[in-house]
Amino acid sequence: MPHNVIHMNAGRLASRLVRRFCTQAKSLSNSEVTKKRNDLFTKEKARQIANISRLEKIQVQHIGPPEECTLLMNKGLSTPFNCAMHIQELLVTRSVVALVNGQPWDMHKPLVEDCELQFLHFKDEDAKIPNEVLWRTGSYILGYVLENAFKDNFYVELCSFPKPDVRSGSFVYDADLKTQHWQPSPTELNCLSAIGFKLQCYDIKFEPLEVDASVALTMFKSAQIPEIAATSATGNTITVYRMGTHIDITRGPLIASTNLIYRYSVTAIHDIESPDYGPLKRVQGIIMPQQLPIHYWTYEFLSERATKLNPAPVPSLKSKQKLAAENGS
Amino acid sequence: MAALGNRVAALGRIRLLRSSVFIQCRYSNTLPEATVEKHRKSKLAQDPEESETESLVAPRDYKYVYPEFLPDPKPQYRDRIREKLEHEDMFRRRTVLKIPEFYVGSILAVLVSDPYAPGKKNRFVGICINRSGHGLRSQFTLRNVVDGQGMEITYELYNPTIQGIEVLKLEKRLDPHLFYLRDALPEYSTIPFDFEPVPHPPGATIPVNPVKVKLRPRPWHERWERQDLQGLQDLELPERFYERAREVAKPWEKYDLMKQYRESINDDDAAKIMGYVYKKIQELEKTKER
Amino acid sequence: MLRFRYRFRQRNLPSAEGTGSGPAGRISKMRKLVTALIRHERIEGKHPYLDEARGYAERLIDEAVRNGDQHKPTMEIANYWLLEKDLLHKLFKVLVPRYENASTSYTKMWNLPTVYPGGGYHMALLELRNNPWPDVIPQQREVKNNLINVLIKAAKEDHEKNQQLTEHKQSEFTDQSTDTGTTTSQSP
Repeated sequence: MPHNVIHMNAGRLASRLVRRFCTQAKSLSNSEVTKKRNDLFTKEKARQIANISRLEKIQVQHIGPPEECTLLMNKGLSTPFNCAMHIQELLVTRSVVALVNGQPWDMHKPLVEDCELQFLHFKDEDAKIPNEVLWRTGSYILGYVLENAFKDNFYVELCSFPKPDVRSGSFVYDADLKTQHWQPSPTELNCLSAIGFKLQCYDIKFEPLEVDASVALTMFKSAQIPEIAATSATGNTITVYRMGTHIDITRGPLIASTNLIYRYSVTAIHDIESPDYGPLKRVQGIIMPQQLPIHYWTYEFLSERATKLNPAPVPSLKSKQKLAAENGS
Repeated sequence: MAALGNRVAALGRIRLLRSSVFIQCRYSNTLPEATVEKHRKSKLAQDPEESETESLVAPRDYKYVYPEFLPDPKPQYRDRIREKLEHEDMFRRRTVLKIPEFYVGSILAVLVSDPYAPGKKNRFVGICINRSGHGLRSQFTLRNVVDGQGMEITYELYNPTIQGIEVLKLEKRLDPHLFYLRDALPEYSTIPFDFEPVPHPPGATIPVNPVKVKLRPRPWHERWERQDLQGLQDLELPERFYERAREVAKPWEKYDLMKQYRESINDDDAAKIMGYVYKKIQELEKTKER
Repeated sequence: MLRFRYRFRQRNLPSAEGTGSGPAGRISKMRKLVTALIRHERIEGKHPYLDEARGYAERLIDEAVRNGDQHKPTMEIANYWLLEKDLLHKLFKVLVPRYENASTSYTKMWNLPTVYPGGGYHMALLELRNNPWPDVIPQQREVKNNLINVLIKAAKEDHEKNQQLTEHKQSEFTDQSTDTGTTTSQSP
């Protein structure tokens, strides 16, 4: 940690978007917060599974190669990943995200009704959805990197990340790192990248969980949550994703597993000014999938472009719809 | 169309003296792309005098009426520019001399200019036994028996010394040539020089003469029993001739589609050429009416 | 009219059906190949034989397309070339409608890779167009929407935009220099 960094004082605690577990605590650490979120997540998940009293069957129609077939799966328990396991190993290893009735759906999100199922991968002729999903996952993993990079005595508050834009050349996470004069050196960026890069050695699933807004509030203590939940189908639920021990809120689907990653880098950290949240840091990075092995020259060329400030909008408290659209969608 | 020029081109690059275009490979029916491009882009091609697409569709049997307009099927003897120039010359000749429609088996009278004949002209009457050649070199052979001596004269259709060609009797025979008349009894080849022309109404179908010719006893010029000839009476040969004929026969040649294709101009190209010829002939006849 | 490259002279194929089988053997072999092609729509064999058979097959189909099955000489030709008589129906009722309006050749020929050590002959593949089998060379996927290609394209457009801006800025600079020249001359 550079010596010229000032540790943030209590004045910052008054900010509306403090994602702390407990406003009364004098010193917080990311690891404590993470642990508590995890416990809540596990409990909530167990509760939801226990709620399923009777196993109902649903008919899932698989469309596309290798085989068009109808599967009989369990309602509320079976995921597209389970369907792929029944069809072919190829679908299990290469599938990024599923299309349920034409809508993007996480691989590990349980199916709730009779539907048509398709699997998408990075080598599709129309790879728009898998690319966006990967970019969103990249942002999500940036959050994980930031929360786990620093020692416990340095607290990192994550703010949000905008809608993924692959053509911009990088994905983004806006966070309050509580340091004002830190320009990361290449070595430091490499260290941050390594945290994300190491994930590919583990087959960590991205588990989505639809939780009630109240549960989400206990996990995140953010004032935005009720507004985000209001935009959901039921009006009161919010999707929360867990990757190993890291938990975060994001709207859209994420990739199936960390073993789909090939390369991951944190390319730059820029200073940005949010009208509502004050000075933040925009952390940028790029990610590449296993299915598209990229030459190191090309990767470095793209990383160079990713160091330029991403033109995505700065996080702010706007109208409900705009907020919901911005916050991790 | 194209052929496997690469292997054949190894035979050598020979300049064909008769052609106006340097054909690099003697046996190739394709020009090198550089040559084609050069001529495509040349200024001579920029203002074509007449477009090819305006040609009419000729009646189906037109290529039998004007067979000399079809070029030699052998690609090494083809030269499109020469063919075009020859066609022009042929049409010009036809404006001066009426060259009638005739077939093998028709009886013709030909008047040629002869410096040694009294009246400087010489008339010959005979039965057409063969038509051959292409373009300006197309020929026909007339046969007659004069004072007991069989004689055949081969005339070139477009020879400028020909003063007139008259069809005395327009008819067809059962065979594409009548060379067996050389071994036939003389009565089948004798045509009196004062043969009265048999009128043929225009537009009527050409009659086919089904006469079966009787041959003299052997020896003959050719082994007629081995050829598929319809216009001969029973040859009355010993069985061994027919056996041997069957042994050496090539019955598959009747169905050898590629051989037939290579020995003739294909239907599409022939139709194109005949369409152009038809158009020109129509124009010719219009000008003659005036 | 044949719409593919054919040789001027036929290959004699002297031992098409064994040593000394001559022209009769050659034609017999051609009939077998043409029959097999019409039946299976894709056959493999030695290149010279298939190349010769290709001409015959195309001519046969051409005759059938031009004249139809009611034309007696065409039926005779088809009867000669197709040794299995159920293929007559296929020729006139399946292949003729398929190739009625074709502007390309009816067959397609491919060269197969040399098998080493092998017998020292070239193998080829002869097929009818629009046959029901999968393509000989499978259609490749489009890759232009791959992540890497999308990023590279975006980077390229970015770079071009920047270049235009720098050019514009340079031209602005030169205009300014001329302007300053005129103003100083006019000032008293």
